[in-house]
Amino acid sequence: MSAVGRAQVMNFHDRAGEKLRNAGLQRALRKAKPLFVGKRAKGIASLAEDGLDFEMLRSTGKNIRNRTLADLDVWLDIFEERAKATGAEVLWARDGAEVSRLVVDIAHRYGVSKAVKSKSMLSEEAQLNDALAAAGIRPVETDLGEYIVQLAGETPSHIIAPAVHKTIAEVEALFAREHGRPLETRTSADIPAMAQEARAVLRQHFLSAEMGISGANFLIAETGSAALVTNEGNGRMVTTLPKVHVVITGIEKVIPTLEDFATLMRLLPRSATGQSISNYVSLLTGTRREGDHDGPEKTIFILVDNGRANLLGSDYQDMLRCIRCGACMNHCPVYFSLGGHAYGWVYPGPMGSVLTPLYTGIENALDLPHATTGCNQCGAVCPVDIPLPALMHRLREEQNERGLRPWSERLALQAWAWLAGKPRLYRWVTRRVARYLDWLADGSGRIRIFGLAPEWTAGRDLPVSSSRTFHELYSARKKT
Amino acid sequence: MRLALYVTCLVDLMRPSVGFAALRLLEATGAEVVVPEGQTCCGQPAWSAGNRQLAVDLAKKAIAELASFDAVVIPSGSCADQIRNVYPQLLADDPLWAPRARALAVRTHELTSFLVDVAKAEWGAPEFLGSVTYHDSCKGLRGLGIKRQPRELLLKVRGLSLKEMPDCEECCGFGGAFSVKFGAVSTQIVDRKCDAITAAKADAVVGGDLGCLINIEGRLRRRGDETTRVLHIAEVLAGGSED
Repeated sequence: MSAVGRAQVMNFHDRAGEKLRNAGLQRALRKAKPLFVGKRAKGIASLAEDGLDFEMLRSTGKNIRNRTLADLDVWLDIFEERAKATGAEVLWARDGAEVSRLVVDIAHRYGVSKAVKSKSMLSEEAQLNDALAAAGIRPVETDLGEYIVQLAGETPSHIIAPAVHKTIAEVEALFAREHGRPLETRTSADIPAMAQEARAVLRQHFLSAEMGISGANFLIAETGSAALVTNEGNGRMVTTLPKVHVVITGIEKVIPTLEDFATLMRLLPRSATGQSISNYVSLLTGTRREGDHDGPEKTIFILVDNGRANLLGSDYQDMLRCIRCGACMNHCPVYFSLGGHAYGWVYPGPMGSVLTPLYTGIENALDLPHATTGCNQCGAVCPVDIPLPALMHRLREEQNERGLRPWSERLALQAWAWLAGKPRLYRWVTRRVARYLDWLADGSGRIRIFGLAPEWTAGRDLPVSSSRTFHELYSARKKT
Repeated sequence: MRLALYVTCLVDLMRPSVGFAALRLLEATGAEVVVPEGQTCCGQPAWSAGNRQLAVDLAKKAIAELASFDAVVIPSGSCADQIRNVYPQLLADDPLWAPRARALAVRTHELTSFLVDVAKAEWGAPEFLGSVTYHDSCKGLRGLGIKRQPRELLLKVRGLSLKEMPDCEECCGFGGAFSVKFGAVSTQIVDRKCDAITAAKADAVVGGDLGCLINIEGRLRRRGDETTRVLHIAEVLAGGSED
């Protein structure tokens, strides 16, 4: 990860303030949240129509993922062998830099000047677009949200809705500029027309690009296929029109069988967009065969570690179950206050608060595991039952174990815990604190500015209801 | 039955009336209620901060002083969750303390779930003239599965009507140290909660965790809402004011 990226992660707290003051972002987020939550709720409720139960299904999904992770090397070997048997090439990348190097090499080998991309968060980990551009290859994002984000020179702020932070007016301004036409007033009714406009531009790119780059939602070991779950149809173009198709995905994405895929597909679209199935489900196996009307002449898988193997057998292995549905961020009160860019790296929301420290270094993202109310709305909706709050908690413990917390915080906690271990002294101190708070409230029942918790009173009062502690009043009452 | 009332450090310092209300409710069940003298804090702030050693020390202290009771009742889902769910895992590798932690965990109850599921007591339901909207606190709801209990109890209060707010299961943004470390983010979250409370058009917002309530009350007042009352469910159920 670049030095700039690192600095961004470190600055979560300041960045949060900036995001809270961004009126356009706040409007976009307020609009999106009920849509995400409502659609997922409907999708999960619809399981009952098929006689399925969410809790049962997610325990099955969790078992599939756990079972695979327990023998990950074996399933990857099987995948590699089967994929090669279909005519695909399988490459391995240790980190993001190696991904970029491999893709640029492939592009040079096949004389590629333009690459169309279907959304891949792993290519964000690798900062692949920068590497391609530097090598003189033009990367064109073709997922509508990614296309918008690329035009704006930004990164995705959500793993399945990359441009969720943008308002229609902002998108219109980008389109007018990029497509060389006058600015118009747009409402949500114009979204289909705007999508059509992007589609017309993108079609030319699909037809002229020599290489398609996509991610994969899953790798199916038994068939050597990549499974791709999309809604816009661009994924099909990217993976079938150009002569070379490169699939970049994490090593943890492999699952054993098509049967397992069917099970996980009951969970993924419903958790992501509330759909019982996405508009397109593609199983990409091998290269174009004789008699096929389309398909790439060359299919290359790049299977990426970038920190994943380190999580195997660690306290954080559960995180590798993640199927990237986005439900955790869609139900996160912190995410929907700030949007994804506040998190500073590729993955936002609760899953990002776990993955960013693990993939970029715990010391580089000290705030993230603390940027949680502990509400567990994420854990409750996770389709593979990842205990996200527990993983964030474990990261906070590790920060303590490695001496990464500020001395002031450690000292304050030590002093408080020491005091809490001495009930008589504790009573004496809390009595004084109650008097002090009451004095600050000065008969108004509230404190408006409190120097010991300035961030608290910046946004709200501190209600004060009594100048006496419970234990003080209780012992007085017992004596009478 | 010999009960311990664990009042929580927040109730002790910030709102003693909640402790007395809980005491009256528990005494009304006919049980012998004791307020163990040495109680201070369950240690959740240390645990949340990731300081395992301090959390372990305070957990052992609480286990020792609460071990001899038939049941421990806490007017807070958050602290009850700490004892029920966190203590056993915190001490899981300690051969001496693990069984004690588990024994205490199963005997520890959040107030409303104790009243409904354990004591099953009828009490002289008080009167509350007005409407209330109930905020489900995160730890109580998602940690302990408390949802129907407070509503069952509230509906027994004469004159009370329940007006559910939109998204009553959404976090209020308190999160303990979170609201102090990330105050501005917390304010944004509690603002959405206040919008929901205002939309419910109830006379009072009621909850089972003082942390959330202080956060909500503080924000409502700062927004200029001086009329919506913010009450702990124990205060509503015990009726009247006192002490």
